[in-house]
Amino acid sequence: MLYIVLFFLLFSLLLYVLLGGADFGAGIVELFSSAKNKEHTRDTIYRVMGPIWEANHIWLIIMLVILWVAFPAYFNIIIIYLHIPLTLVLLGITLRGVAFVFRHYDAVVDKSQFWYNWLFRIGSFVTPVFLGMSFGALIGGKIIITEDYENYGFYDLFMQHWLNIFSLLVGLFYAALCAFLASTLLIGEAEGKARKHYARNSAFFTTVLVVLGFILISFGYFSDIKFAEDFIHNPVSLACVAFSGILLFPLWKFIKKEYRIASRYLAVFQVILVLFAALYAHFPYIIITATEEVSLLANLAPEATISNLAIMLLIGGFIILPGLFHLMRSFNMIKVLEKNEKKYE
Amino acid sequence: MENLDYARLQMAFTLGFHIIFACIGMVMPFFMVVAHHKWLKTRNPVYKRLSMAWLKGVAIFFVTGAVSGTALSFELGMLWPEFMKHAGPIIGMPFSLEGAAFFVEAIALGFYLYGWKKLPEKFHWFTGVIIGISGVASGILVVSANGWMNAPSGFDYINGEFTNIDPVAALLNPAWFTQALHMTLAAFVATSFGVAGIHAFQIFRKRNVELHTKAFKIAIIFGAVAAFLQPISGDLSAKDVAERQPVKLAAMEAHYETEKGAPLYIGGIVDEENRTVTNKIEIPKALSFLAFGDFDAEVKGLNDFPDDELPPVAIVHYAFQIMVGIGTLLMFAGLIYFISLKKKKWLNNKYYWLLFIVVAPLGFVAIEAGWVVTEVGRQPWIIHQIMRTEDAVTPMPGMKYSFFFYLFLYTVLGITVTWLMNRQIKSLNQEPNEDGSNENSSQESYNRERARKNNPINMKNKSKD
Repeated sequence: MLYIVLFFLLFSLLLYVLLGGADFGAGIVELFSSAKNKEHTRDTIYRVMGPIWEANHIWLIIMLVILWVAFPAYFNIIIIYLHIPLTLVLLGITLRGVAFVFRHYDAVVDKSQFWYNWLFRIGSFVTPVFLGMSFGALIGGKIIITEDYENYGFYDLFMQHWLNIFSLLVGLFYAALCAFLASTLLIGEAEGKARKHYARNSAFFTTVLVVLGFILISFGYFSDIKFAEDFIHNPVSLACVAFSGILLFPLWKFIKKEYRIASRYLAVFQVILVLFAALYAHFPYIIITATEEVSLLANLAPEATISNLAIMLLIGGFIILPGLFHLMRSFNMIKVLEKNEKKYE
Repeated sequence: MENLDYARLQMAFTLGFHIIFACIGMVMPFFMVVAHHKWLKTRNPVYKRLSMAWLKGVAIFFVTGAVSGTALSFELGMLWPEFMKHAGPIIGMPFSLEGAAFFVEAIALGFYLYGWKKLPEKFHWFTGVIIGISGVASGILVVSANGWMNAPSGFDYINGEFTNIDPVAALLNPAWFTQALHMTLAAFVATSFGVAGIHAFQIFRKRNVELHTKAFKIAIIFGAVAAFLQPISGDLSAKDVAERQPVKLAAMEAHYETEKGAPLYIGGIVDEENRTVTNKIEIPKALSFLAFGDFDAEVKGLNDFPDDELPPVAIVHYAFQIMVGIGTLLMFAGLIYFISLKKKKWLNNKYYWLLFIVVAPLGFVAIEAGWVVTEVGRQPWIIHQIMRTEDAVTPMPGMKYSFFFYLFLYTVLGITVTWLMNRQIKSLNQEPNEDGSNENSSQESYNRERARKNNPINMKNKSKD
């Protein structure tokens, strides 16, 4: 039963990184577009993301519920020590979420759109950065776990592990990953000039992603961050990242040939490889503190709770996943653009 | 004030904020699908216009409820980590089911919002129904988790350890049904009277009377029926509280002395220091009857509980009085609506509409007051008789700043949503598009075209070209 729960936890994490990521990324693409392209991107995002927009973000809640129900001790550390970056994540989620809906459902379109747009764009960039920073803090080896809160300063206990260069690099890396996902997705949703625009974007963010990934690992390695060291010394993780890098070439080819489905699946597969690489080196010891490594499986919830949760997740998955798939299919998220090829040429 | 006080204030404020949006997001879809159904049946464009307008309201309230709910699910852990550490594995079931219900709601919302003209009409309408049903389901499930805090069950508590956990028994805790019923009805009463009041105001000002009268009718019927059922559910709740949390009942009624045939106090000023209540109206033996169904039953007073287990009596008592007072008032307002079905003349009387305008916000006041009764009345316990709130709070100092941060954020958000609703209503009062239709898309493209003309950024852009 534990494996079912673990599967759903990782599955939700993956889908949040992918779908939530594409959603954040769409805002980042919009942020870094020229004023003219911003408008077009805005409408494309609304058309593509709109129907599944809300569902994209519920994976985070599912993840959260699984963590607090099945892995309470683990969740406890995250929630106490990452209070500040998670508050900032929540701020980002709140602002970009409401901005997205306000800008499309406000009855009157006037200057207030200016605010909605900028809140959405900046929120889309800042939120994944803080999410990444939170993850960076978990693996950065700087968290000081203590019962003796008096003897440490506020900064030592609640700030330094997330407010540092390594965490920031992880944050920027995740933001770049989101932008890579979104721009690759958007290529298949546009034609003509706009299509070229997204293809350029995709190439740009891919480059940023590769460069940032390289800086991240080297910086980690040279600053003696255990996670980075273990990562480099782990052949499986390295191979996954390398393979993901090599797959960029077929990806570009698919994009050029306008294989919408193939390029999407390949991009998703690459992200899975990167995520797997990041988790594999340490799983299940995902929290690395200053003194110890905390296992996800330490102090698990009682067996009754785990099996109950597993059953709930299976039932929930049985209802939700077909619904979600049908939703995506109804709004052409899963469709081959190749049909339009001739028209486009 | 201490860290604990600010953490409690933050929780109270963010929960109080979320409840309003959650309730509206839960009930408004029903209005929307009724209007939609009427449109499908009569093809009267007014109904389509109305369901489109309500749809926008649903979208705005849903997202505000969703983001504030996401924040809350984090805050539960961020503010009360000790609570979540122990309670999480026990009350995981309502939360995981709630996650599923919320997910279904989000998927249905995707279908409904974007499905106009793209989906078969009936299936499209049905997705709207799903929004409503799953919304109510998630509301009930969350309240069940709260019920567990009032009536902890599904585990054995031995030497400070939670053992023999039974998640199903925790889900079906003794308080879940009465609380969920009371809250669901309250959501219907508050939202219906709120929405009806807004449309009543438009009728009062003689703006687009045809549309607003139709809207008023749909909303008020839900509210009036719920307002009539609410006292029954309130009675069930009171009996339940009397049995399981006698100290909460004593605080609600501000009864210090234990007595048989206890009177019901209406109003009254509580003096917590001297343990007296002055200026109250007493109804002899009524409390004993309401709480236990027996005029001579003994009601245990606050003086017979340990001092360190007493909730803040005055707050709980006043909040309870407000809740009951408003509930009664709204029941009478509902009655007036039912009478007006026979006496059509009333509809031409401006005081009739004025009444519904005045009572519009009261349901939400009652909901907030009701939550104060439930939550403050449970203090000093976060899990009744098991864990104290002070033992659950986060060790992180500086909750003061966190509180002011959320206060600022949600105040701005609240003002913005109110302003947006005002704009929705104004646009509803304007004439429909030239072609007579009120298509979302044509409205949107029209709006966007106007924005393009007015938007300073694009102006700049154009001049560059």
